[in-house]
Amino acid sequence: MKISIINGSPKLGKSTSELIVEYLTPLISKNNSIEVFNTNTTALNEGQLSGIICSDTIIFAFPLYVDSIPSNLLRLLIGLEKRQFPSQNIMVYCVVNNGFFEGKQNHIAVKQIKSWCAINHLIWGQGIGIGAGEMLPFLKDIPLGHGPNKNIGNAIKQLSFNILTRQGGEDLFISPNWPRFLWKVQSSLFVWYPRAKSNGLKKSRLFEQVQKNYLDNIKQLEQKGKKQ
Amino acid sequence: MTVIIHDLENTELQTIFPQIGKDTVLVSEKGSIKNCIGCFGCWIKTPGTCVLKDGYENMGWILSQAETVIIISKCYYGGYSPFVKNILDRSIPFLLPFFKIEKNETHHKQRYKNTFQLVVHFYGENITSQEMDIAHSLVKANAINLHATSCKVLFYQSFNQIA
Repeated sequence: MKISIINGSPKLGKSTSELIVEYLTPLISKNNSIEVFNTNTTALNEGQLSGIICSDTIIFAFPLYVDSIPSNLLRLLIGLEKRQFPSQNIMVYCVVNNGFFEGKQNHIAVKQIKSWCAINHLIWGQGIGIGAGEMLPFLKDIPLGHGPNKNIGNAIKQLSFNILTRQGGEDLFISPNWPRFLWKVQSSLFVWYPRAKSNGLKKSRLFEQVQKNYLDNIKQLEQKGKKQ
Repeated sequence: MTVIIHDLENTELQTIFPQIGKDTVLVSEKGSIKNCIGCFGCWIKTPGTCVLKDGYENMGWILSQAETVIIISKCYYGGYSPFVKNILDRSIPFLLPFFKIEKNETHHKQRYKNTFQLVVHFYGENITSQEMDIAHSLVKANAINLHATSCKVLFYQSFNQIA
Protein backbone atom coordinates (compact mmCIF):
# COMPACT_ATOMS: atom_id res chain seq x y z
CA MET A 1 0.00 0.00 0.00
CA LYS A 2 1.31 3.43 -0.93
CA ILE A 3 0.77 5.94 1.86
CA SER A 4 1.38 9.67 1.53
CA ILE A 5 1.69 11.62 4.76
CA ILE A 6 1.37 15.37 4.39
CA ASN A 7 2.83 17.43 7.19
CA GLY A 8 0.78 20.61 6.88
CA SER A 9 2.66 22.60 9.48
CA PRO A 10 4.08 25.88 8.14
CA LYS A 11 6.65 25.97 10.97
CA LEU A 12 10.25 26.20 9.81
CA GLY A 13 11.68 24.25 12.75
CA LYS A 14 10.50 21.16 14.57
CA SER A 15 6.73 21.05 14.84
CA THR A 16 4.13 19.10 16.82
CA SER A 17 2.77 17.78 13.51
CA GLU A 18 6.22 16.37 12.74
CA LEU A 19 6.24 14.65 16.13
CA ILE A 20 2.81 13.15 15.42
CA VAL A 21 4.11 11.88 12.05
CA GLU A 22 7.06 10.33 13.92
CA TYR A 23 4.64 8.61 16.31
CA LEU A 24 2.44 7.28 13.51
CA THR A 25 4.97 6.20 10.87
CA PRO A 26 6.50 3.15 12.61
CA LEU A 27 3.02 1.81 13.37
CA ILE A 28 1.97 1.74 9.71
CA SER A 29 5.24 1.18 7.85
CA LYS A 30 5.32 -2.66 7.73
CA ASN A 31 4.78 -3.84 4.11
CA ASN A 32 3.80 -0.30 3.10
CA SER A 33 5.62 2.37 1.17
CA ILE A 34 5.45 5.66 3.05
CA GLU A 35 6.41 9.06 1.79
CA VAL A 36 6.25 12.18 3.94
CA PHE A 37 5.70 15.56 2.28
CA ASN A 38 6.52 18.78 4.10
CA THR A 39 4.72 21.97 3.16
CA ASN A 40 6.65 24.43 5.33
CA THR A 41 9.18 25.87 2.91
CA THR A 42 8.49 25.68 -0.81
CA ALA A 43 5.38 24.55 -2.65
CA LEU A 44 5.39 20.88 -3.66
CA ASN A 45 6.56 20.24 -7.22
CA GLU A 46 4.62 18.53 -10.00
CA GLY A 47 6.25 15.15 -9.35
CA GLN A 48 5.37 15.28 -5.65
CA LEU A 49 1.76 16.27 -6.37
CA SER A 50 1.43 13.42 -8.89
CA GLY A 51 2.84 11.08 -6.26
CA ILE A 52 0.22 12.15 -3.72
CA ILE A 53 -2.78 11.75 -6.03
CA CYS A 54 -1.60 8.23 -6.97
CA SER A 55 -1.56 7.06 -3.32
CA ASP A 56 -3.76 4.39 -1.79
CA THR A 57 -3.98 6.38 1.45
CA ILE A 58 -3.45 10.05 2.26
CA ILE A 59 -2.89 11.23 5.82
CA PHE A 60 -2.84 14.90 6.76
CA ALA A 61 -1.11 15.99 9.97
CA PHE A 62 -1.38 19.71 10.65
CA PRO A 63 -1.91 22.40 13.28
CA LEU A 64 -5.14 24.31 13.74
CA TYR A 65 -4.74 27.94 12.70
CA VAL A 66 -7.53 30.36 13.60
CA ASP A 67 -10.09 27.56 13.97
CA SER A 68 -9.37 25.93 10.62
CA ILE A 69 -6.81 24.65 8.08
CA PRO A 70 -3.65 26.82 7.80
CA SER A 71 -3.39 28.74 4.51
CA ASN A 72 -0.33 26.84 3.24
CA LEU A 73 -2.20 23.52 3.47
CA LEU A 74 -5.35 25.07 2.02
CA ARG A 75 -3.36 26.05 -1.09
CA LEU A 76 -2.12 22.47 -1.39
CA LEU A 77 -5.64 21.02 -1.04
CA ILE A 78 -6.89 23.29 -3.83
CA GLY A 79 -3.86 22.33 -5.95
CA LEU A 80 -4.56 18.63 -5.48
CA GLU A 81 -8.23 19.09 -6.31
CA LYS A 82 -7.32 20.81 -9.60
CA ARG A 83 -5.21 17.81 -10.66
CA GLN A 84 -8.10 15.35 -10.29
CA PHE A 85 -7.52 11.98 -8.65
CA PRO A 86 -7.04 9.01 -11.00
CA SER A 87 -8.80 6.70 -8.55
CA GLN A 88 -11.59 7.19 -6.05
CA ASN A 89 -10.42 4.26 -3.96
CA ILE A 90 -8.18 6.45 -1.80
CA MET A 91 -8.62 6.53 1.97
CA VAL A 92 -8.16 9.89 3.71
CA TYR A 93 -7.28 10.40 7.38
CA CYS A 94 -6.22 13.47 9.34
CA VAL A 95 -4.63 14.37 12.67
CA VAL A 96 -5.08 17.98 13.76
CA ASN A 97 -3.44 19.51 16.81
CA ASN A 98 -4.29 22.84 18.38
CA GLY A 99 -2.86 25.21 20.96
CA PHE A 100 -5.98 25.19 23.12
CA PHE A 101 -6.41 22.46 25.70
CA GLU A 102 -9.51 20.90 24.20
CA GLY A 103 -9.02 18.62 21.22
CA LYS A 104 -12.67 19.14 20.30
CA GLN A 105 -11.80 22.65 19.08
CA ASN A 106 -10.27 20.90 16.03
CA HIS A 107 -13.66 19.66 14.83
CA ILE A 108 -14.09 22.34 12.16
CA ALA A 109 -10.73 21.56 10.50
CA VAL A 110 -11.60 17.83 10.50
CA LYS A 111 -14.92 18.66 8.80
CA GLN A 112 -13.07 20.77 6.22
CA ILE A 113 -10.86 17.79 5.30
CA LYS A 114 -14.03 15.66 5.13
CA SER A 115 -15.54 18.23 2.78
CA TRP A 116 -12.39 18.17 0.58
CA CYS A 117 -12.65 14.40 0.58
CA ALA A 118 -16.32 14.48 -0.52
CA ILE A 119 -15.64 17.04 -3.28
CA ASN A 120 -12.89 14.79 -4.65
CA HIS A 121 -15.02 11.62 -4.23
CA LEU A 122 -12.42 10.00 -1.99
CA ILE A 123 -13.17 7.72 0.97
CA TRP A 124 -13.21 9.36 4.38
CA GLY A 125 -11.37 7.35 7.03
CA GLN A 126 -11.03 9.10 10.37
CA GLY A 127 -10.11 12.38 11.98
CA ILE A 128 -8.21 12.85 15.24
CA GLY A 129 -8.18 16.19 17.06
CA ILE A 130 -5.46 16.64 19.68
CA GLY A 131 -5.56 19.44 22.25
CA ALA A 132 -2.59 21.17 23.93
CA GLY A 133 -0.39 20.44 20.91
CA GLU A 134 2.39 22.73 22.16
CA MET A 135 2.72 20.47 25.19
CA LEU A 136 3.45 17.29 23.19
CA PRO A 137 7.16 18.02 22.49
CA PHE A 138 7.66 18.38 26.28
CA LEU A 139 6.22 14.86 26.72
CA LYS A 140 8.10 13.14 23.92
CA ASP A 141 10.21 11.04 26.31
CA ILE A 142 7.08 9.54 27.90
CA PRO A 143 5.93 6.44 25.97
CA LEU A 144 2.65 6.73 24.09
CA GLY A 145 -0.26 5.27 26.02
CA HIS A 146 1.28 6.17 29.40
CA GLY A 147 0.75 9.05 31.85
CA PRO A 148 -0.12 12.31 30.09
CA ASN A 149 0.35 10.54 26.72
CA LYS A 150 -2.34 7.95 27.49
CA ASN A 151 -5.11 9.46 25.36
CA ILE A 152 -2.90 10.36 22.43
CA GLY A 153 -1.35 6.87 22.50
CA ASN A 154 -4.76 5.23 22.36
CA ALA A 155 -5.92 7.52 19.56
CA ILE A 156 -2.78 6.94 17.44
CA LYS A 157 -3.08 3.18 18.00
CA GLN A 158 -6.69 3.18 16.86
CA LEU A 159 -5.90 5.37 13.88
CA SER A 160 -2.97 3.19 12.79
CA PHE A 161 -5.20 0.06 12.99
CA ASN A 162 -7.82 1.73 10.79
CA ILE A 163 -5.16 2.87 8.31
CA LEU A 164 -3.67 -0.63 8.06
CA THR A 165 -7.07 -2.28 7.61
CA ARG A 166 -8.39 0.51 5.33
CA GLN A 167 -11.32 1.08 7.65
CA GLY A 168 -13.16 4.16 8.71
CA GLY A 169 -13.54 5.11 12.36
CA GLU A 170 -15.31 7.58 14.59
CA ASP A 171 -13.58 10.95 14.81
CA LEU A 172 -11.74 11.28 18.13
CA PHE A 173 -11.09 14.52 20.00
CA ILE A 174 -8.70 14.22 22.91
CA SER A 175 -6.74 16.29 25.41
CA PRO A 176 -3.64 15.22 27.36
CA ASN A 177 -4.16 13.32 30.61
CA TRP A 178 -3.17 16.37 32.58
CA PRO A 179 -5.11 18.92 34.65
CA ARG A 180 -6.18 21.86 32.52
CA PHE A 181 -5.52 24.47 35.23
CA LEU A 182 -1.94 23.21 35.53
CA TRP A 183 -1.44 23.26 31.75
CA LYS A 184 -2.75 26.86 31.69
CA VAL A 185 -0.31 28.02 34.38
CA GLN A 186 2.58 26.04 32.88
CA SER A 187 2.03 27.53 29.42
CA SER A 188 2.75 31.00 30.86
CA LEU A 189 5.54 29.99 33.24
CA PHE A 190 7.40 27.49 31.08
CA VAL A 191 6.59 28.63 27.54
CA TRP A 192 5.67 32.28 27.00
CA TYR A 193 7.70 34.02 29.74
CA PRO A 194 10.95 32.07 29.14
CA ARG A 195 10.65 32.51 25.36
CA ALA A 196 10.12 36.25 25.79
CA LYS A 197 13.07 36.41 28.20
CA SER A 198 15.30 34.67 25.67
CA ASN A 199 14.41 37.53 23.30
CA GLY A 200 15.39 40.08 25.93
CA LEU A 201 11.79 41.04 26.79
CA LYS A 202 10.39 41.61 30.25
CA LYS A 203 7.06 39.96 31.14
CA SER A 204 5.19 43.27 30.98
CA ARG A 205 6.19 43.80 27.34
CA LEU A 206 4.17 40.76 26.25
CA PHE A 207 1.00 42.74 27.05
CA GLU A 208 2.01 45.80 25.01
CA GLN A 209 -0.44 47.41 22.64
CA VAL A 210 0.81 48.78 19.35
CA GLN A 211 0.39 52.57 19.22
CA LYS A 212 -0.56 54.37 16.03
CA ASN A 213 2.40 56.76 16.19
CA TYR A 214 4.67 53.72 16.25
CA LEU A 215 3.17 52.65 12.92
CA ASP A 216 3.50 56.21 11.54
CA ASN A 217 7.20 56.14 12.45
CA ILE A 218 7.62 52.83 10.64
CA LYS A 219 5.87 54.26 7.55
CA GLN A 220 8.09 57.38 7.63
CA LEU A 221 11.18 55.19 7.87
CA GLU A 222 9.93 53.07 4.95
CA GLN A 223 9.33 56.21 2.85
CA LYS A 224 12.78 57.56 3.75
CA GLY A 225 14.28 54.24 2.71
CA LYS A 226 12.49 54.37 -0.65
CA LYS A 227 13.73 57.94 -1.31
CA GLN A 228 17.28 56.91 -0.58
CA MET B 1 -13.35 52.17 11.43
CA THR B 2 -14.49 49.43 9.03
CA VAL B 3 -12.00 46.82 7.85
CA ILE B 4 -12.70 44.91 4.64
CA ILE B 5 -10.62 41.78 4.13
CA HIS B 6 -11.28 40.38 0.66
CA ASP B 7 -9.94 38.23 -2.16
CA LEU B 8 -11.44 40.19 -5.07
CA GLU B 9 -9.74 42.21 -7.78
CA ASN B 10 -9.97 45.95 -7.01
CA THR B 11 -12.34 46.46 -9.98
CA GLU B 12 -14.59 43.70 -8.66
CA LEU B 13 -14.62 45.27 -5.20
CA GLN B 14 -15.57 48.63 -6.71
CA THR B 15 -18.72 47.09 -8.21
CA ILE B 16 -19.83 46.13 -4.69
CA PHE B 17 -18.54 49.21 -2.88
CA PRO B 18 -18.40 52.05 -5.44
CA GLN B 19 -17.50 54.55 -2.73
CA ILE B 20 -15.16 53.55 0.01
CA GLY B 21 -15.02 56.00 2.88
CA LYS B 22 -11.89 57.37 4.53
CA ASP B 23 -12.69 55.41 7.66
CA THR B 24 -12.47 52.10 5.78
CA VAL B 25 -9.30 50.05 5.56
CA LEU B 26 -9.04 47.58 2.70
CA VAL B 27 -6.91 44.48 3.15
CA SER B 28 -6.32 43.30 -0.40
CA GLU B 29 -4.05 40.85 -2.15
CA LYS B 30 -0.81 42.45 -3.35
CA GLY B 31 0.89 39.21 -4.30
CA SER B 32 3.45 39.54 -1.54
CA ILE B 33 1.84 37.82 1.43
CA LYS B 34 3.90 35.27 3.33
CA ASN B 35 2.54 32.33 5.31
CA CYS B 36 2.45 32.54 9.08
CA ILE B 37 5.39 30.35 10.09
CA GLY B 38 4.15 29.58 13.60
CA CYS B 39 7.17 31.24 15.22
CA PHE B 40 5.05 33.17 17.78
CA GLY B 41 7.38 36.15 17.21
CA CYS B 42 4.27 38.36 17.24
CA TRP B 43 3.80 37.31 20.89
CA ILE B 44 7.31 36.88 22.26
CA LYS B 45 9.65 38.95 20.09
CA THR B 46 7.77 42.00 18.77
CA PRO B 47 4.52 41.78 20.80
CA GLY B 48 1.53 42.88 18.72
CA THR B 49 3.31 42.93 15.36
CA CYS B 50 4.19 40.06 13.04
CA VAL B 51 7.91 39.60 12.40
CA LEU B 52 7.38 38.97 8.65
CA LYS B 53 7.72 42.33 6.94
CA ASP B 54 5.66 42.00 3.77
CA GLY B 55 3.06 44.74 4.22
CA TYR B 56 0.72 42.52 6.28
CA GLU B 57 2.55 42.64 9.60
CA ASN B 58 0.13 45.10 11.25
CA MET B 59 -3.08 43.06 11.15
CA GLY B 60 -3.22 42.98 14.96
CA TRP B 61 -3.24 46.77 15.16
CA ILE B 62 -5.70 47.09 12.26
CA LEU B 63 -8.21 44.80 14.00
CA SER B 64 -7.72 46.79 17.23
CA GLN B 65 -9.13 49.85 15.44
CA ALA B 66 -12.13 48.13 13.84
CA GLU B 67 -15.78 48.60 14.71
CA THR B 68 -16.82 46.28 11.91
CA VAL B 69 -14.79 43.64 10.09
CA ILE B 70 -16.23 42.57 6.75
CA ILE B 71 -14.76 39.49 5.10
CA ILE B 72 -15.48 38.71 1.45
CA SER B 73 -14.15 35.33 0.46
CA LYS B 74 -14.65 32.54 -2.03
CA CYS B 75 -15.78 29.51 -0.05
CA TYR B 76 -13.42 26.53 0.03
CA TYR B 77 -14.40 23.44 2.03
CA GLY B 78 -16.63 25.57 4.23
CA GLY B 79 -13.85 28.03 4.96
CA TYR B 80 -12.02 30.98 3.50
CA SER B 81 -9.91 31.30 0.36
CA PRO B 82 -6.12 30.97 0.83
CA PHE B 83 -5.46 34.74 0.81
CA VAL B 84 -8.20 35.56 3.32
CA LYS B 85 -7.11 32.64 5.51
CA ASN B 86 -3.53 33.83 5.27
CA ILE B 87 -4.63 37.24 6.59
CA LEU B 88 -6.47 35.63 9.51
CA ASP B 89 -3.47 33.40 10.26
CA ARG B 90 -1.36 36.58 10.42
CA SER B 91 -3.88 38.30 12.73
CA ILE B 92 -3.00 36.48 15.96
CA PRO B 93 -0.93 39.44 17.30
CA PHE B 94 -4.38 40.96 17.92
CA LEU B 95 -4.54 38.52 20.84
CA LEU B 96 -2.29 37.67 23.78
CA PRO B 97 -0.55 34.30 24.06
CA PHE B 98 -2.17 33.74 27.47
CA PHE B 99 -5.32 31.71 27.95
CA LYS B 100 -8.65 32.21 29.67
CA ILE B 101 -11.44 29.71 30.15
CA GLU B 102 -14.91 30.61 28.99
CA LYS B 103 -17.88 28.25 28.77
CA ASN B 104 -15.50 25.44 29.65
CA GLU B 105 -13.22 26.13 26.64
CA THR B 106 -9.82 27.77 26.51
CA HIS B 107 -9.36 30.88 24.37
CA HIS B 108 -6.65 33.52 24.06
CA LYS B 109 -6.97 36.66 26.15
CA GLN B 110 -7.49 40.05 24.52
CA ARG B 111 -4.53 42.36 23.88
CA TYR B 112 -6.87 45.29 23.17
CA LYS B 113 -10.16 46.30 24.77
CA ASN B 114 -11.61 46.90 21.33
CA THR B 115 -14.26 44.54 19.96
CA PHE B 116 -15.95 44.53 16.56
CA GLN B 117 -18.83 43.05 14.59
CA LEU B 118 -17.86 40.30 12.19
CA VAL B 119 -19.71 39.96 8.89
CA VAL B 120 -18.62 37.27 6.44
CA HIS B 121 -19.77 37.08 2.82
CA PHE B 122 -18.95 33.73 1.23
CA TYR B 123 -19.38 33.40 -2.51
CA GLY B 124 -19.07 30.41 -4.84
CA GLU B 125 -21.11 28.63 -7.49
CA ASN B 126 -21.56 25.28 -5.79
CA ILE B 127 -21.45 25.81 -2.04
CA THR B 128 -22.92 22.63 -0.57
CA SER B 129 -25.14 22.47 2.52
CA GLN B 130 -22.28 20.64 4.27
CA GLU B 131 -19.94 23.57 3.47
CA MET B 132 -22.55 26.06 4.72
CA ASP B 133 -22.75 24.21 8.04
CA ILE B 134 -18.96 24.25 8.36
CA ALA B 135 -18.87 27.95 7.45
CA HIS B 136 -21.45 28.79 10.15
CA SER B 137 -19.41 26.88 12.77
CA LEU B 138 -16.17 28.47 11.59
CA VAL B 139 -17.37 32.07 11.70
CA LYS B 140 -18.94 31.49 15.12
CA ALA B 141 -15.64 30.06 16.40
CA ASN B 142 -13.71 32.97 14.84
CA ALA B 143 -16.05 35.44 16.52
CA ILE B 144 -15.48 33.81 19.91
CA ASN B 145 -11.70 33.66 19.50
CA LEU B 146 -11.41 37.21 18.11
CA HIS B 147 -13.77 38.51 20.80
CA ALA B 148 -16.27 39.87 18.25
CA THR B 149 -19.50 41.26 19.67
CA SER B 150 -21.61 39.60 16.96
CA CYS B 151 -21.22 37.63 13.76
CA LYS B 152 -23.17 37.13 10.57
CA VAL B 153 -22.61 34.72 7.66
CA LEU B 154 -24.08 35.17 4.20
CA PHE B 155 -23.77 33.07 1.02
CA TYR B 156 -23.90 34.06 -2.63
CA GLN B 157 -23.55 32.32 -5.99
CA SER B 158 -21.37 35.16 -7.20
CA PHE B 159 -19.51 38.02 -5.52
CA ASN B 160 -21.49 40.64 -7.49
CA GLN B 161 -24.65 39.65 -5.61
CA ILE B 162 -23.11 41.13 -2.46
CA ALA B 163 -24.93 44.41 -1.97
